[in-house]
Amino acid sequence: MYGWTGNILRINLTDRTHKVEHFDEEFARKWVGGRGFALKILWDELKPGIDPLGPENKLIVTVGPIAGIPAPNTGKTVVAAKSPLTGGYADGNLGTRVTEQMRKAGYDLIIIEGKSAQPVYLYIEDDKIQYLPADEIWGKGTYDTHDWLYKKYGKGAGVLSIGQGGENLNLYSMVRSLEGRAGGRPGIGAVMGSKKLKAIVIKGSKPIPVADPEGMRKLGLEDLRKVGEIDKKTGWSIQGTTGVLAWCNEVAALPVHNMRKTHHPDAWKIDGERLNNARVATYGCPNCTMRCGITILDHEGHESELDYENIGMLGSNLDIFELDQVASLNYLCDDYGLDTISAGAVLAFYADAIEQGAIKGDFRFGDAEMAKKLLGMAARREGEVGNLLADGTLRMARKIGHGSEAYAMQVKGLEISAYNCKFIPGMALAFGTSPIGAHHKESWVITFELKQTARDSYGPEKAAKVIELQRIRGGLFEFIVACRFPWIELGWELEHYVEYFNKTTGLNWTLNDFWKVADRIYALMKFFWVREFPFWDRTRDYPPMIWFDPKNADTDGPIAGKYLELDKYNQLLDHYYQQRGWDKRGIPTRKTAEALDLSQEADQVEKFTKLE
Amino acid sequence: MSGSNIKITVKLIGPFINQLGFSEKTMEFPAGATVETVLSSLPLDPRRPRIVTRNGQAVASGEKLGDGDRLAISPLYSGG
Repeated sequence: MYGWTGNILRINLTDRTHKVEHFDEEFARKWVGGRGFALKILWDELKPGIDPLGPENKLIVTVGPIAGIPAPNTGKTVVAAKSPLTGGYADGNLGTRVTEQMRKAGYDLIIIEGKSAQPVYLYIEDDKIQYLPADEIWGKGTYDTHDWLYKKYGKGAGVLSIGQGGENLNLYSMVRSLEGRAGGRPGIGAVMGSKKLKAIVIKGSKPIPVADPEGMRKLGLEDLRKVGEIDKKTGWSIQGTTGVLAWCNEVAALPVHNMRKTHHPDAWKIDGERLNNARVATYGCPNCTMRCGITILDHEGHESELDYENIGMLGSNLDIFELDQVASLNYLCDDYGLDTISAGAVLAFYADAIEQGAIKGDFRFGDAEMAKKLLGMAARREGEVGNLLADGTLRMARKIGHGSEAYAMQVKGLEISAYNCKFIPGMALAFGTSPIGAHHKESWVITFELKQTARDSYGPEKAAKVIELQRIRGGLFEFIVACRFPWIELGWELEHYVEYFNKTTGLNWTLNDFWKVADRIYALMKFFWVREFPFWDRTRDYPPMIWFDPKNADTDGPIAGKYLELDKYNQLLDHYYQQRGWDKRGIPTRKTAEALDLSQEADQVEKFTKLE
Repeated sequence: MSGSNIKITVKLIGPFINQLGFSEKTMEFPAGATVETVLSSLPLDPRRPRIVTRNGQAVASGEKLGDGDRLAISPLYSGG
């Protein structure tokens, strides 16, 4: 078998034991890697209803067949677990040296079980596994933690760590790597923290099994050069992802004031042009020639690496239009190991609830200094307010009451990323049907929707586009495990990835083979949710109710007076379910499951709910 | 406004700013000017995928512009 090592490293932190297990080619072909591997392991090994922060939950670190080989944007690793934030399936990918080091150490999958009695970090070097005391780094932020580990193991080591957020079980804490990289939005950091696992360090020295090593190396290096050239020619990385901020402001899709507004006259102060002008450094993931990590100095003088989501959620959504202050909030999130998207949504929701009179408090929109204090309290779960803020918007709303759940900007418990869909039905559907809760990484349809369809339509073409992009972004790129940016932003064709896959594995797949795997994974992710929430219905695929409220419509600008219509959104959901072969509740039918080789999984889920 | 000209605010997004050397400016065009009139007056690579909006709404290139319109020209972002 080429492309995969076939090795699973299973580590139990409770009794500090480990063993190496093996998977066969059938498993590899069926699930490919990354999200596919993680999902299948969690489905098979987790009992439904377990406490995500208990020792029964499992932390998965995994890569894909092309991960770590020298080719465009293959430096990504997937982390996954049952989410403590949403209660459903959760994963995230992040650029890290772990990718290459893990493959060289000889593993495609690491499963971490149990719970350590004391804070530890794992050191994995090929076949050597050490459980080392983390006393000196427990309680520290991720920057200090990484520095401490780099001094000990060298900068080339692969390092994943958590900050105070993960240690204190903040439900939107993440796993950190490198300068500004993080992954696992739905609380994977808290899962690590619950196991008292501060960090994972990996070094490897073995060759990565590639069917055509010379051909792949030559092709990969040449393509890295070509992608870099296209980036230079188009100028994409001048502003990177942040170029879209000014555009969102133009078309009324910017999150402002807890997404109650869609544009703001001061948005230019925090846009990509200002960011590029303030740039002091640029960082990127391994194997990347279109580096997007634009770094500026924050209000306190730290280097802070920003992208669009950070600025949208910690800037405009909080009515903060001072770029250095936005950078400070971003730096703190990175250091505490908090998800910037959820953190921005949580603070905005808190300010909104205070403004609406639903809760008493001192925080106001636009108050950057108070926002910094609140982030620290949320990361450390300090006091009543810190504990409230650490639980994410849905739990906050349920505690606060007074109808605040309508403006808790989340789906399935995960906060919505920085695209305000007050009047963008297709993108609202993309958030609604994202299989880990609201996340832009699965499907992003706004430009298609505005350029090629009527904005106010709820037709089948929008559902079809959401599914097409889910297959590519949430499917292909999440299971071969590579960054989607060369494809989405530079037009680097998908066929290149098929070629990398085939040269690495020795197989002869086409894109259609990948789409079947993608559909299988999406169906099983839905089954995972249904197994956890057996009374599943379509309302769990709804965006927040405020988007359907005529009183929330903009009073000026491009979408004045417009809002989403619930009956039409339901039609759009019907189109989506029908095209996917799911029933009216949004659950894959028995026939669909069988066509995707999920008969056994369908039998399992039928213990919880009847399939159509 | 001179004669029967109309004033259009042209807003560039992302790397188009660096390619054309400005971020936003007001330009004059003859009455009856279309989106294409404005686009063809700018040294943009026509092969580069882009989305053009007028006052926040996507427009086709043949659409007529009115005095005071705001035209935003952006690369076709794909959402990170």
